[in-house]
Amino acid sequence: MTTLNNMEETTYAIEMLGITKKFGNILANDHIDIRLQKGHILALCGENGAGKSTIMSILFGLYAPDEGIIKKEGVEVKITNPNDATNLNIGMVHQHFKLVDTFTVLQNIVLGDETLKEFRGDNLNIVKKSLNYLNKHIFKILDYKKAREDINKIINQYDLQVDLDKKIKDISVEMQQKVEIIKMLYRKNDILIFDEPTAVLTEQEIQNFLKVMNNLKKEGKSIIFISHKLNEIFAVSDQITVIRKGKYIDTLKTSETTKEEISALMMGRKLKDFKEKSKKTPKEEVLRVEHLTMIDPFSKKKVVNDISFNVRKGEIVTLAGIDGNGQQEVIYGITGIKKARDGVILLDKKDISSYSIREKIKAGISHIPEDRHKHGLILDYSIYENTVLDRYYEKEFSKCLFLNEKNIKKYADELIDKYDVRSSGDGNTIVRSMSGGNQQKIIVGREIERNQDLLIAVQPTRGLDVGAIEGIHNLLLEQREEDKAILLVSLELDQVFTLSDRILVMYEGEIVGEFTPEKVNKKTLGLYMSGAKKDEVNAIKEGANE
Amino acid sequence: MNKIKSFFSSLIKKDSTKTVVTSLWCALLGLILGFFILLVINPSNAAYGMSSVLGNYLIFSNPGDRLNYFGQTLAKTAPLIAMSLSILVSYKAGLFNLGASGQYSIAVLVICFLGVGANWPWYVVMIIAMIAAAIWSAITGLLKAFFNVNEVISGIMLNWIALYLVNGLLSNSSSVWDGAHSESIMITSEYNSFIPSIGLDKLFAGNSIVGLGMILILIVVIIIFILLKKTTVGYELKATGLNSDAARYAGISKVKSILIATAISGALAGLSASLSLQNGFTSWRLSSVPPEIGFQGISSAFLGGLHPIGVIFSSYFIMHITEGGSMITDLGFSPETASIMTSVIIYLSGFVFFIKEAMRKFEIKSELNKLSRNKENKV
Repeated sequence: MTTLNNMEETTYAIEMLGITKKFGNILANDHIDIRLQKGHILALCGENGAGKSTIMSILFGLYAPDEGIIKKEGVEVKITNPNDATNLNIGMVHQHFKLVDTFTVLQNIVLGDETLKEFRGDNLNIVKKSLNYLNKHIFKILDYKKAREDINKIINQYDLQVDLDKKIKDISVEMQQKVEIIKMLYRKNDILIFDEPTAVLTEQEIQNFLKVMNNLKKEGKSIIFISHKLNEIFAVSDQITVIRKGKYIDTLKTSETTKEEISALMMGRKLKDFKEKSKKTPKEEVLRVEHLTMIDPFSKKKVVNDISFNVRKGEIVTLAGIDGNGQQEVIYGITGIKKARDGVILLDKKDISSYSIREKIKAGISHIPEDRHKHGLILDYSIYENTVLDRYYEKEFSKCLFLNEKNIKKYADELIDKYDVRSSGDGNTIVRSMSGGNQQKIIVGREIERNQDLLIAVQPTRGLDVGAIEGIHNLLLEQREEDKAILLVSLELDQVFTLSDRILVMYEGEIVGEFTPEKVNKKTLGLYMSGAKKDEVNAIKEGANE
Repeated sequence: MNKIKSFFSSLIKKDSTKTVVTSLWCALLGLILGFFILLVINPSNAAYGMSSVLGNYLIFSNPGDRLNYFGQTLAKTAPLIAMSLSILVSYKAGLFNLGASGQYSIAVLVICFLGVGANWPWYVVMIIAMIAAAIWSAITGLLKAFFNVNEVISGIMLNWIALYLVNGLLSNSSSVWDGAHSESIMITSEYNSFIPSIGLDKLFAGNSIVGLGMILILIVVIIIFILLKKTTVGYELKATGLNSDAARYAGISKVKSILIATAISGALAGLSASLSLQNGFTSWRLSSVPPEIGFQGISSAFLGGLHPIGVIFSSYFIMHITEGGSMITDLGFSPETASIMTSVIIYLSGFVFFIKEAMRKFEIKSELNKLSRNKENKV
């Protein structure tokens, strides 16, 4: 184990020295040093709320540090807003992409760095010159042709194939990420920051992404890679900087350390093993879905096509598949967020197909939605208010029309305690100011505490760190022990295998295979997920029909 | 000593304090610009004009007159408070009630026929006027909830429909129309529909328009405050306003929230009409623009920091300026000048959020400057 602090002669693309940032009483960054060598990939890892995003936001000019200096290639620089960062050729791909949905890929890439139409050449006459002048200052007509040429060069150089004329809302998450990368390269950025880039990708896409990272490195770009997935970190990085609870812990060469060492440094303790799933025979049926069909209102396509399955007490059933194959819509159909075209949903043998969302919640559905900011929480409400979001009207929490604040507080304080929700203050803290892991704990706690028969969890560990994932896995397994029926939607194969009792693979709105984790391996599952096996399945089905 | 200091510094850092400070800034900015307008139009009388705008009733030397006009300003504040609450309630549910003028007009229609024509008791007239305005406002809500029609657009359209409906119906019925002055017949203290003074007029030098209305509106402020803060309805409204998606996921009906919010805010606009007409200080005049009070309410709601209590003070301020402004016509300013100047002050007052944002940026900048200065000192 060699620390890099004594290698003074190395040239650094970026140095951040003694960075300190306080939010109120919370020390988000406490004298953190980050040194990125030219042409290297530096992995920045730490648990949620360790201060990774904060320090990168400082580098990108979104926050001003309270203390500390930033140097680019040995020269001290001031970065007070994202424009400064862009001028220093620093680019960042945020965890949540910053793209305009209704614009095409091409428009998104040039947005903010538009090339204007211009007459070029040696013999420019007065007319052309004045046209150029007018265009530059008044008309501002864009030169898409030139932009397209430039972008195509980048696409070929780095092997980042995307369709420039498709709209962002019509392309997959992986493609959107490529657009973000091309955007940085188009601006000639040479220092690239990736904030948890693989959180939204599937197994295969992650492998492709790691290749892209290596390409970028080969072309001389310096990269900071924020992640807590150790496999990926060890696959691509040259150095690893670990921070914990806002403090700088160490920087290690990737080749000279081990995953165990890094995870121990990250957590300040050794990783406990995940709870083993116990052997258990499922009991009576809780949820039964029959012939569910959902139509996309815009494209009129069948996004869910005649699906039937059931979930029993004491088992975890997982809808696996690549993002956008109808898993989300199945959940919409069951919870009533969107109307189903056809099909019956039975909960405890009662037909709840025509119930409203509220009636379904009351009938016994708990739902942990995928997007905690958009669907799970009211970010400007306090913890207290959010813990009763789907049960404030119950007798315990309201009398006549009035909220029973005393009971709400008591209940919320218990939940905060039980699920270890951490914030800068008490239950009056506004949820927006909290870290993602703690926000998720509020939702998970809220839904589990309702003590319903059916728990639906859509990507419950999305964007969380190892420690938080461990906690949520264990909570789900505990629920299984308590004979709850659990329907899980997950994109991560590891999660699918550790948690499920049954795996239903979805491809293009249909269930193409049902497995138990013991009898299938990742490769076969991957093939089913990518649709390669579908034809075979169909052939078998047809054979059976004949 | 230190304790007091830390108390003040924590007070300054509080968000609510910031809102109050920005509101004061806005008001000041409006006053400065208003003064500038007076300077341009009539420099010799500008200073005196400004002092009369600011002084309002204080420019009278006779204590009786002072009290009388002070009472008048207070009484006229009541309808503006109601209007501000109307804007505020819909805003909390994520809606922008630009249709308040139309709701006000519909209430005027009811008040004229039932109050002037039929001379029903004041509370009956008030309640029916509120219900009528609530129903009118709910049209916007229905359009929004079921067809996703933008409430601003439907609100503005309904303003004009209401305006011409009221113009037409009132001016054609002789029982409520005073043809000589081409306005609706004023409700005076002889009418049953006049909101009683309950002796308050004696406190204000016999100004009969001061009365129960002022107390009523304070009660309504408290009701709205409790509704938003303590009830499940308020919880639902605010949840829908802050994040309608998450509210829906939690089973809160968006349709219900929108309908309740528009109906309440319509009822409050109706109350505003009732407090103006049934207090006998205004009547309906033939007009080609929707009543101004609906728009003043927007300024007042924002200047009051979108808080039910804050709205009391902002409404008083706006009414104080408006009343003061109406006096400067005696000083050689045209009535138009007076209204331009008061409008400038009022509308600048609506800039609270704009200024709050500017202040935030300024704070960040000064913090950065401090930082770089510290660094230089160290070097």
